[in-house]
Order: sequence, then structure tokens, then C-alpha cells
Amino acid sequence: MTNARTEILARLESSKPPALARPPESTPPSMPIDPIARLRERLREAGGSLQVATRQNWPDQIAWPVDLSAVQHLYSSLPAIEGRGVGTSATTDHDLDSLDLCVGSAEFAVVENGAVWQRPATSRQRAATLLANHLILVVDESQLVPTLHQAYDRIEAMTSDFGWFLCGPSKTADIEQSLVLGAHGPCTMSLILLRD
Amino acid sequence: MGHIDRAREFVADAERTRWHDQALWFVRTKRDRAADQVPDWEALREQASGIKGFALGRLPALWREFEAKAAAAGTIVHWARDAAEHNEIIVRLLRERRIRHVVKSKSMLTEECGLNLHLEAQGIEIVDTDLGERIVQLRKERPSHIVMPAIHLRRGEIGTLFAKEMGSAPELDDPEELTAIARRNLRTTFLRAEAGITGVNFAIAETGGFVVVTNEGNADLGTALPKLHIACVGLEKIIPKQKDLAPFLRLLARSATGQAITTYTSHFCGPRPPSPDPQELHIIVVDNGRSQLLGRPAFREALACIRCGACLNTCPVYRRSGGHSYEATIPGPIGSVLEPSRDPAKHRELPGACTLCGSCTDICPVRIPLHQQLLAWRGELSEMGHTRRSKRFGLRLLAWLFARPMTYRWLGRSARALVRRIPAAPRDRLLNAWTRQRALPEIPKASFRELYRQRMADRRRREALHSDD
Repeated sequence: MTNARTEILARLESSKPPALARPPESTPPSMPIDPIARLRERLREAGGSLQVATRQNWPDQIAWPVDLSAVQHLYSSLPAIEGRGVGTSATTDHDLDSLDLCVGSAEFAVVENGAVWQRPATSRQRAATLLANHLILVVDESQLVPTLHQAYDRIEAMTSDFGWFLCGPSKTADIEQSLVLGAHGPCTMSLILLRD
Repeated sequence: MGHIDRAREFVADAERTRWHDQALWFVRTKRDRAADQVPDWEALREQASGIKGFALGRLPALWREFEAKAAAAGTIVHWARDAAEHNEIIVRLLRERRIRHVVKSKSMLTEECGLNLHLEAQGIEIVDTDLGERIVQLRKERPSHIVMPAIHLRRGEIGTLFAKEMGSAPELDDPEELTAIARRNLRTTFLRAEAGITGVNFAIAETGGFVVVTNEGNADLGTALPKLHIACVGLEKIIPKQKDLAPFLRLLARSATGQAITTYTSHFCGPRPPSPDPQELHIIVVDNGRSQLLGRPAFREALACIRCGACLNTCPVYRRSGGHSYEATIPGPIGSVLEPSRDPAKHRELPGACTLCGSCTDICPVRIPLHQQLLAWRGELSEMGHTRRSKRFGLRLLAWLFARPMTYRWLGRSARALVRRIPAAPRDRLLNAWTRQRALPEIPKASFRELYRQRMADRRRREALHSDD
């Protein structure tokens, strides 16, 4: 028996269509005049929300999905949240399962679709972002790109690990096309835009 | 039983048919609004179609590049010639690690390979985690749509299913409550799973990585915790560069559901770091007929498909006959192009389940000429001898008749006189399948040829009168 790899590559070689040229790069749309309004609209459509706050003491300025001083199970990768909440940071898978809130940061936001780009530092952070009932992500107001084209210009070709675009809470419409937030992961998601 | 018979069963439930038709049309209108918001939509389609055409001309080189980069990132690449080999590789990987509990996120490829039944037969538990897929898995059905697997079901049926399978109250039919029940049920499964299987939306040659998109987050949950992640990818899913993701991701969710982007767009490149929770990442590259389709110039462009499902939502036949009437892994226009290539005898009717309206071609984000391919399949299947004998006979008779104008005219005249004399009820109900749901137009007194002759004669007479003035 020949090796599957050799055989498949040979099959592909023999049925290969004529090589076409790579299409020319198109010019992507530039930043709209009202990027924040666009971002807000896209997030709303995705079932999430946008809040704007100044960098100094931002946790005191925003509306939290749960009472931050009383929250039992909190996962945060941000120093600004240190010491808040009554519970300790989650350490086991089971703790992750009962997470009330996850707070994290994102590298940049994409105005055309409301998504943010994040590379979770650990698999634990990735799981926390997925398992918490509520998700808060912060991004700097200076870090906005108009479309995914400019987004991929910023992301270097990956050589390892994991990164994702996140937009809104986990959702499904698999039962009669009715939209339900919180299919498996967060039921709410809020993006906090930080400015000076 | 053919597509027509199965479609007849579906439309027997008029209320369900109406709902199905309207629900999918609503998704189609959402897609239109989303596409309208993108000023460079047509340029994007052009670019996406161009990148796929470029990639299909270089598949061996791209897969070699992918394999080398994936290996450098720590991913183990396997190759499978067909469905059986794909399933064997998965069973071996699970057996070697004594794994008995597996979660799977949506993947049309594993549906195509019949993975679930294969694993269950080996005593391995496999749970579909996409809500719609879980519903059809529990009902022992196949998905009826590639993006909305349970679109053929009503809430009451899902309530009944959950009462039986998850112990919920039998009268419960609220989508929100039903989803909450499934969430609790599946959360336990996620935490217990020892391996996660996912599909792949795009494999990237440049990085050896791949992208998986979901709205529920089930692909991510299924792979974030277990020690083993197996991704299954068809040969056609490769794109050259990471930045090529931009046009495809801008088109995909908008075309599929009218969303600007899915909730989760996850980029995997190698297993997660060894500390604190090491993980193995395996990817299985599957042919299963794809290389053969690549060798057919009339149909190879169908390999550009990104599985958005827009052609299903817009298709007047799909919307009114339901996905199961196609009896294929992939229903609708794209399925009717792809499936006959794998099994022409079984799927010979599918290219005929089409009105050639061309809406699928107009809407396809990667510009696959779907209705032209459906027409081409009809010719091909007829040449392969897969057309019904009655149809073959009829077509031969017509070809004979069209070559004989005098006979044709005489027959037309006789038919016009005769058809009017047959009582409408038996004529339209029994003799002609086309008129079972439609009224036959009034039979004209004269043929087009006769009318045209008359008209020209009248004109000549008028002109003769005019020149007399």
C-alpha cells in the first residue's frame, strides 16, 4: 500500500488546473468619520455593548453586569481589577465553570464588525473568557482599525499558539431562529473603550 | 424514493413548509442588508474568487508548505485518502490514549465521513456541541442545513426531544429556556471531555495554522480544556497567506447569517504551550473525492465553496422542499453540484431539483457559477446513463421531432385542438405532473408562427393602403 500522503499529493498534481495569477490587492475602505458610533452599532447588533471611559479609574466609571464588590468568582488579567471582588481568582477547571465574571484586555478593535483581537496569555485565560457568565474586555481608543484588512496588516503571521477575534456574547439561533444569548459561554459582553 | 417523493412528504405539512420558506428568506434579507453595508462587496467577491482560483492551481505546493509550517509549530499532520481512512486515524488516536469521551463542534466533513456512527460502534462517546447539531444527533438525523442544522424542526418538537433526553418539562417550548437546558447539559459534557474534534474553515499555508468560526463558542470550549485536539480539514480549504483571511472572513458571516462577523473567530497555530496544561494538536487532511473533482474542469470551481449556506437560503427549491429531501450530506444548490461527483447514481436527481433561476450564482460570495454547473451535471449524468428511462425516451422523441419542422407544426396544430377537448380535471391532475400545483394557461388558438404570419400580412395590407393615399 502506498503512503496516503504520497498518493494524495500525486492525485492533486495530476488533476491540477492551470495556474492562475494571484489577484491584485484591493484597496480596503478607510476609517469612517464616526468610528465609535459604528463600533457601538456593530456591538449592539452582535448582542454586546460599548462603554467609553477615561483610563484613570475606569472600573469606577462603567456599568458592571454584576456587583463588582460582591462578585464571588472573578477572573481578571488586569491590574486595575486587583483586589476587587470577594472571591479569589479561579485556579481549577471547576472554579472556571462557576465563574461569574471575566475581565480582560484586547489589542485592538475592528470598526466594521465590532470584533476585538486578543491573544490569551494562557489557556486558562482562554477558558475563563469562554466559561464566565459575563465578559468585559477593554481596549485603548487609539487602537481602532477600519476593517479586517488593516487588522491582518497588524497581526504578524503566526508561528505558534492561539489568537481570536471576539464579538459579543456567545449566542445561538438554532431553535426556530430565535436569538438566544449565552449558548455556552458569556450571556453578556461589554467592550470598554479607554481614552485619556 | 427520489427527491420529488421526499419533497412531497415535506410539503404535506403546509404550515411547516410556509414557516421554513419564510425563515430562510428572512435570513436571505438579513444577508442583503449586511452586504449593502460593505461598500467594496463586489470587489471582495472578486478577490475571494481569485484567491481560491490561485490556490486550486497550487494545491500540492500549498499543502507541502502547510505541512512544514504546522510541524514547526508542533502540530502533527495526517493524510486520509477517504472517509474510512479518516475515521480509522481518529479511532487510533483515541484508542492509543484510552479516550472514551469526545466532544465535536460543527464540521460538515465529519458528517460526510460518518464519524459519529463509526465512533459509537467502537464504544466511544461522541457528543456534538453545536446546539443545532446536538438536536439532530439526538434525533438520529442528519443536519438539514449546513449552517442551521435543525431549521426543519419546530420548537415543540425540540421541547419533546429535550423532555425525553434531558428530563425537562414536556410542555416547555420556549427557545430561551430550552437553550438554557442544553447549556447546562452540555457544560457537564465539556468538562468531562478528554478530546475535542473540530472542523476547519480555513487552513493557512503560510503559518501551518487554521481558523475555526462559531457563534456559540463550542469549538473553543471543546478544545480549551482537553489534552487532545483533532482538526479535520478537506483538501480544498487551504489559502496561501494569513492576510487572505480578510476577504473571506468579511464575506463569510455576512453571507451566512447577515452578521458582520461571528462571535468567535479562532486562530489555532500549534498546540497550546506545554505549561501548565500540555496539549496535542493533530490535523487530518482529507481527500475523499476532492482531487477527483479538481480534475473536472466543468465542476472544479465548486471547490472554492466556503460553506456559508447562502445558496441554500436563496434557493426556491430548497426553501420549499427542506434539506432532508436531498438525502445528502450537503443539500441545496452547492450540495447538488458536489454530491453527484462522489456518487452519480445515488444523487442523479439533485441537479434537476433546480429551476435554473440563477439566484445561487448571484449570491455566492466566491462566485461559483452554480446554476451553470447544475445544468452541466444534467448533461453529464444523462451521458453516464443516469437519467430515468422515461425521461431519456421523451428527450429522444423531442430531439427527433425538433429536427422535423413539418411534423412539429402538424403535431402542434393537432395538440391545440385536442388538449382543449380533454376535461381539465383528469388532464391536469393525472396526465401532467407540472399542473398538479398549477393551472394550465388557456390553450391558444394559433401557434406563434401562425400569429406572426398573420401580423406580417396585416402590416403589409396597412402599408399597401397607406401607399395608395
